[in-house]
Amino acid sequence: MIHSTVVRVDQNTPTVRSIGFKWDCKVLPGQFIMVWIPGIGEIPISLSSTGNLKEITVKSYGPASDALTKLETGSRIFFRGPYGRPFTLVKGKTLLIGGGSGMASLKPLINERSYAIVSARTRDELLFSDKIHEGNLHLVTDDGSIGIKGTPLNALEKLNLTEFEMIYVCGPEIMLKKIFDSLRGKKVRAEFAMERTMKCGIGVCDSCSIDGLQLCRDGSIFSMEEVMEMEEFGRTKLSESGRRIILNY
Amino acid sequence: MSNRLQTVISGLRLDNPLILASGILDENGYTMKRILKEGAAAVVTKSIGSAERSGYKPPVVVEIGGGNMINAIGLANPGIENFGNEVKIAREAGKPVIGSIFGADAEEFSNLAKKMASYGVSGIELNLSCPHVKGVGQEIGSDPDLVESIVGEVKRSVNIPVFAKLSPNVSDIMELAKAADRADALVLINTVRAMAIDVYARRPVLSNVYGGLSGPAIKPVGLRYVYEVKKETGKEIIGVGGIQSAEDTLEYIMAGASCVEIGTALHTGGRSVFRAISRDLENLMASEKLDSISDTIGMAIQR
Repeated sequence: MIHSTVVRVDQNTPTVRSIGFKWDCKVLPGQFIMVWIPGIGEIPISLSSTGNLKEITVKSYGPASDALTKLETGSRIFFRGPYGRPFTLVKGKTLLIGGGSGMASLKPLINERSYAIVSARTRDELLFSDKIHEGNLHLVTDDGSIGIKGTPLNALEKLNLTEFEMIYVCGPEIMLKKIFDSLRGKKVRAEFAMERTMKCGIGVCDSCSIDGLQLCRDGSIFSMEEVMEMEEFGRTKLSESGRRIILNY
Repeated sequence: MSNRLQTVISGLRLDNPLILASGILDENGYTMKRILKEGAAAVVTKSIGSAERSGYKPPVVVEIGGGNMINAIGLANPGIENFGNEVKIAREAGKPVIGSIFGADAEEFSNLAKKMASYGVSGIELNLSCPHVKGVGQEIGSDPDLVESIVGEVKRSVNIPVFAKLSPNVSDIMELAKAADRADALVLINTVRAMAIDVYARRPVLSNVYGGLSGPAIKPVGLRYVYEVKKETGKEIIGVGGIQSAEDTLEYIMAGASCVEIGTALHTGGRSVFRAISRDLENLMASEKLDSISDTIGMAIQR
């Protein structure tokens, strides 16, 4: 287990915090770490900053993430990694599509050539939209409190997709599936950050597998072409016990 | 691959001697299917019980260096009633799928075996050795009378090969090997009981505290058990424990194993270990003028 000290904490939204720590290790956008909260649990989290100062962005949804959001400057943070295959970096214009806390793993990709569709349930929950140049930004909320009322698809259909060298997508699987279906057959290059129950992080336990590929080793970033081959994507996944759950998105 | 690598275990024909060990990448049918397509001769499923179990909370693994790890997944499994479809998907690869089961007594094992057999598996592996879950695994696998009745009952219940996976965490493995004599073959060994403490957190790392050590560190232990049991009983053996290379495989075969199971090497080498070890084994056997696996089994045993 690696350990470091928390050097900064930022409240990004009412429910989301970013925790910064020093870790002298090369990490690429899209890679993740398994963060351990001694006595509570361990969860996979993508790095939301990959420079000298590393950062994770956490929303409380269970005991481990809840404990993480309570870490203060000076607290010790335990983790292992980095794990997973990163996003492919390109030189041209890119489109980031982030649903909810999905924007956290897309944040290291943000540069002056980035456009983004940032979506959340409500305006207070939009994450990292302030990091995108205003003219390049499309906001979407479920409740219509700001931007387009609807899903990222409603924003996507207004854009000329051929001008982007790469489209990066991160969010809940149902969102990924709908975006994948809408991009299918178009001449675009896209990568999807997948989500599955992850336990070991090192390619042995099979919890996070999709079509025989392990998200923790072979992903969690997959290309359009790879997703195209997946029978399980958007259809089924495994529960913590390994029971198959029907999704049918 | 040439015929050189072909081997037989209890009548099951294998293209090469490399089988995916139980507990590693064998919960999802699609994963097992892919591993079979990528070169494993057979797969053993994750151990399946009567009821659905979520297993322990993470951390469930600790990497301790040198390709070794300690794990305590906690027999996570969907329950036998929910596993038929996974076996069906895995079987699409056209190679043997061996169903691993765990239970608390002979009756439970026998019911699980019958159900597993009905899913079309080619053999049953009895998990008599999981080192970190109370009331099953090693706890019952350490009791020779219980082992004898479980093996006997399962053998009466199914007409496919039955393999008994024994634990190294006992004082006298020969006693257990003899108790499991009615099994078609013995699987030696399971992981070695172990733990890890993080000094900076001042507590054990695994949520379950104890786990099972696997990887190259336990190879000498596994090898010794295979050698000893083969020499004393002459039974067919499937070797498991720390196998990462063609040399490791051949060591186990020369010690008396008819084939081997590979697990932790998937962590260091990924799914391609099966193809890589097969290729290296073919070359090693050719250069050592070893014509077939069957002629090599137990070659190193000194009488």
